Order: sequence, then structure tokens, then C-alpha cells
Amino acid sequence: MTLSVSGLTAVRSGRTIPHPTSLEIAPRARIGLVGASGSGKSTLGHALIDDLRAHGRSVAHVPQRPDEALDPLRSMAFHWTEAARALGSPPNADQRKRLFAALKIDGGDLRKRPWGWSRGMQQQFVIAMALIGIPDLIVLDEPTSALDPVVAAQTMDLLDSHLAATETVMLLITHDLGLAARRVLNLTVMDAGRVVEASPTADLLDRPQTGAAQSLSAHRSWLALLCGRSKAFRSDAAKARRWRTSGCR
Amino acid sequence: MSRGILGLLPRAAVVLTGTALATFALLWNAPGDPALAIALARYDTVASDDVVDHVQVETDLDAGFLTAFTAWSGPLLIGDFGRSSVTGRAVWPELIDAISYTVPLAFAGLAIGLATSVPLAAIATRAPGRWMDRIAVALASFGAAIPAYWLGLLLILLFALHLAWLPAMGARTAVHILLPALTPGLGVAASLTWFIRSGIREARGQPFLPAFRRRGVSNRAIGRDHVAPHAAIPVVTVLGPEMAFLLEGAVMVEVIFARPGLGSFLVAAITARDFPKVQAVVLLAALLFVVVNLLIDVVYRLTDPRIGERDA
Repeated sequence: MTLSVSGLTAVRSGRTIPHPTSLEIAPRARIGLVGASGSGKSTLGHALIDDLRAHGRSVAHVPQRPDEALDPLRSMAFHWTEAARALGSPPNADQRKRLFAALKIDGGDLRKRPWGWSRGMQQQFVIAMALIGIPDLIVLDEPTSALDPVVAAQTMDLLDSHLAATETVMLLITHDLGLAARRVLNLTVMDAGRVVEASPTADLLDRPQTGAAQSLSAHRSWLALLCGRSKAFRSDAAKARRWRTSGCR
Repeated sequence: MSRGILGLLPRAAVVLTGTALATFALLWNAPGDPALAIALARYDTVASDDVVDHVQVETDLDAGFLTAFTAWSGPLLIGDFGRSSVTGRAVWPELIDAISYTVPLAFAGLAIGLATSVPLAAIATRAPGRWMDRIAVALASFGAAIPAYWLGLLLILLFALHLAWLPAMGARTAVHILLPALTPGLGVAASLTWFIRSGIREARGQPFLPAFRRRGVSNRAIGRDHVAPHAAIPVVTVLGPEMAFLLEGAVMVEVIFARPGLGSFLVAAITARDFPKVQAVVLLAALLFVVVNLLIDVVYRLTDPRIGERDA
């Protein structure tokens, strides 16, 4: 089922998306929402979640940091039960074990409170919790910035393979183009509260059209891109040379 | 967690020893001749020098400070508060009797405080800044500004004399506790309203709450399971000082309402210069503080286990 929203606007905590935005998202899509800090990515993400939920779609959200998703006074088990109940389903231990296995969460004591777990485990728990209801859309807002690179990559891989079996759309909000390039097929670029460009990832990285996209791709995670996807830099020989001399293997 | 609480016990012991020493030293150096005062209190006439000397020897008042202090504090360790220097009877039974009046009074005051402030703060924070909130803030400021003794007299005038609904004097029936408990209870209600109100408002600003809303958790459940526990933390912290306020207030309240209890016991003991009794009351008050604060610490650690973890 295609997800569509039109005329989204939002003003939240100083950040605004003053320009009505419309989106059409195909099932199983993997979309990256990129843009500089303060360009309105998270605000658009929140507005999208609220709008889709108001229209009866099931939407899950993974905030940037686990502290924005977990109550330090409540046990992990409490969070899990509460999230399951909110979706109208009784807590199901088998499903929990399946999701924990899918995200390789093991050894965490559910009776402990969030701060009894490592941050990486907390974030994986939050992602697992977001998957309880097999959502139509999962919005990941900088999901791996709290994790170390190894755990981050592993978590994203596990999430990818879990989502492959579902219809769930993934919207990845990030300012890390390197992460987006590896994880999504389409990129949507935001600047100053409006969507300025939307195209397949490879096209956007090779031929950014707008100023915002150009400056993002100039400041992207160079090492990851140059080593994995050097094509993007051919047009800019000077930069490539600089990287080559600094020893990219 | 239990280790953290055990760690608090030495602190409690230091507080109690310090209190005992300070009280004894203060009374030892108090102006006036206690022996003369005791003699006057006992025989109710002008006492001769012989009698005063006799009293002095009998009550150990001629011994040195350290001798007298050890003579008094040694038996304390086994719960013996000594004997009244005026009547010669053991202090402990009379003290227990006084406590049995004052502790219910303090708890009734606390109950009134909580029963008033929790709903008031809940209503006030339903729409922050709107008129209900302003009324609650105004009531809280008003309640905190009124001196308890004045409020007590006002309550007597209104409910006992004018309306004749409630008894004002003594402690014969359970109803007798109402006006004396209301007097400091309203002050407690006022300050607790402040704390609960700001606690709720602060808890509502917790950064994780939007995620719970997006997860589809109802506002009711968020309020009950997430806002309330966070709002309770600062409130639990001030319960100790509030309890202290109630016990201090008991002295005045019991005198105003002619009620038996620790306050009346203390005032009578001071007037009679019955030092063992005065020392017993002060030490007991310190013990109550320590116990109340220890209990609050336990509750505190149960509500927010992060505290114990950080201490350890």
C-alpha cells in the first residue's frame, strides 16, 4: 500500500517546515531524508508520523538517542509491555524473543532500567520495540549516532534483513550521506524547511542539482564514500588526489 | 541498595551523638540555678539553702560536666532516659504518653497536606498558566504566608466558637485532632502544592515523553506511569523537612489547643527546669528526624534507583 501525505506543515520548537510538503512513498521503499542541521528533517519526520497515524496507519519512530525513547525510572520489561499494549496486542514473549534474536539483543536483563544496559543495547532495544506492530513506516532519526561504527553497521544490517521480509517502509533521517548512501535507494534533500531535491541515491551523489545537495555531498563522510564509491569524486580531481595522498585503503 | 542505606547509619549515629552533646552542654551552661528551680517546683515554697544543696547533690548537679554527661548518656544507649529531676519518676513512660499524642497529630497534618495538595496541583497543572493554575498558586502563596499560630486562633474562632462544629481544647476524642492538625496541615499543603506543581511541570518536559506519545501510549497512561513517578522525586525529598515542620509546629499548636503531647511536655519541662525531660524531648526529636530522613532515603532510592547507583 502506497503511503501518501499532502500539505504537511509543522512548527515545532523553533524549527519549522513552513512550506506544505507532499510525499508519495511506495511499499518497501528505503528513503533517506538528508539535509544540514536545522533544515527541518526531524520536524518533517514527526509531522509525517503524526499525519499518517491520524489516518490510521501504523507508524513507528526511533529517536536519535535512547534517552529520548526510554524512561529512566521504568524497567525495560515495562517499556516493552507498554509498547505492545499501545498497539492493542497483548505482550507476546515469543515475538519478543524473535525480535531480540533478529537484532541480536542478548544478555540484557529486562528487569533492569535503561541505564543498566549499554547505550548500543538500549538503541537496539528501541529499534526492536518499534518493530512490534509490523509498522507501515518506520522513521529512524539518526538511529546510529549514539552507537560505535561497528555496532551501528551491524544494527543497520540486522534491521535491513528483518525489514526485507515485511512491507515496511523505512525513512532514514540523517546528515551522514555516507550512511544514507549505503542504506537507501532514494534520497530526499531538505533545506531551510523545504524539500529541494529527491532522486535515486546514486544520481544524487553523482549529479547533485541544488546547492544544498551539492554542499552536502561535498561535506559527506569522505572516507567511506571515496573508498566505496569513488565515482562520485571523479569530477573533482583535486579532492580525490588529496584523499589518495592521505592514504585511503 | 541495602549497602547504600547501611552507609547512612554512621551518619545517623554522628547526628544523634552531636545532638546529645550539644543539648547537654547548652542546658549545663544555662543561666540560673537549676537546683533552686527544682526545689521551688518540688516544694512550692521558698526553699532554704539546705534544701537547695540537697537537691544539687541528689540530682548530680554538683558533678563535673563529663561525669554528669556520661551518667546521663550511658543509660541512653539502652533506652533509659533517666528520671525527672523534679518528680523523681522515670521520664520514659511520660515521654511515650506525649509521643502517642504528637505523632498522630503530625501524621494527620501530613495527611491533610497531601490530601489537599495532590488534587490541587493536579488540577492546576491540567492547564498551566490558566485561571485554575493561578488560583492554586495564589492559594499556595497565601497558605505559606499565614503563620500557624494565627491560623490556629482563627480556626478556633470560626469552627469552635462561632459555628461550634468542632472542639478546640484537649484531646478526649478523635475529632479533637482535626483543628490542631489543620493548623500546620494547611501550611504543609501550601508548600507541597508548590513542589508537586513544579514537579509535574518539570516531569512533563522530560525529553522522552514525545516518543511515548508517538508510540501510541495514551495521555492517561503517560501521566500515571511516567509523569507521576518523575514528579514524585522532588516531593519525596521535601517530605523530610515537612515532617520536621510538623513536629516543630506541634509545640505551638499543642499550647494553643491545650493538647497534651511533646510540645506541652517540653514547655512544662522547660518551665520547671526539668533538664532530663528537656534533653529527652530534644534527643527524641533528633531521633525522629533521623528515622524519617532514613525512611525517605529508602523511598527515594526505590523511586529513583539511579541515586543509589551513583553513591555506590
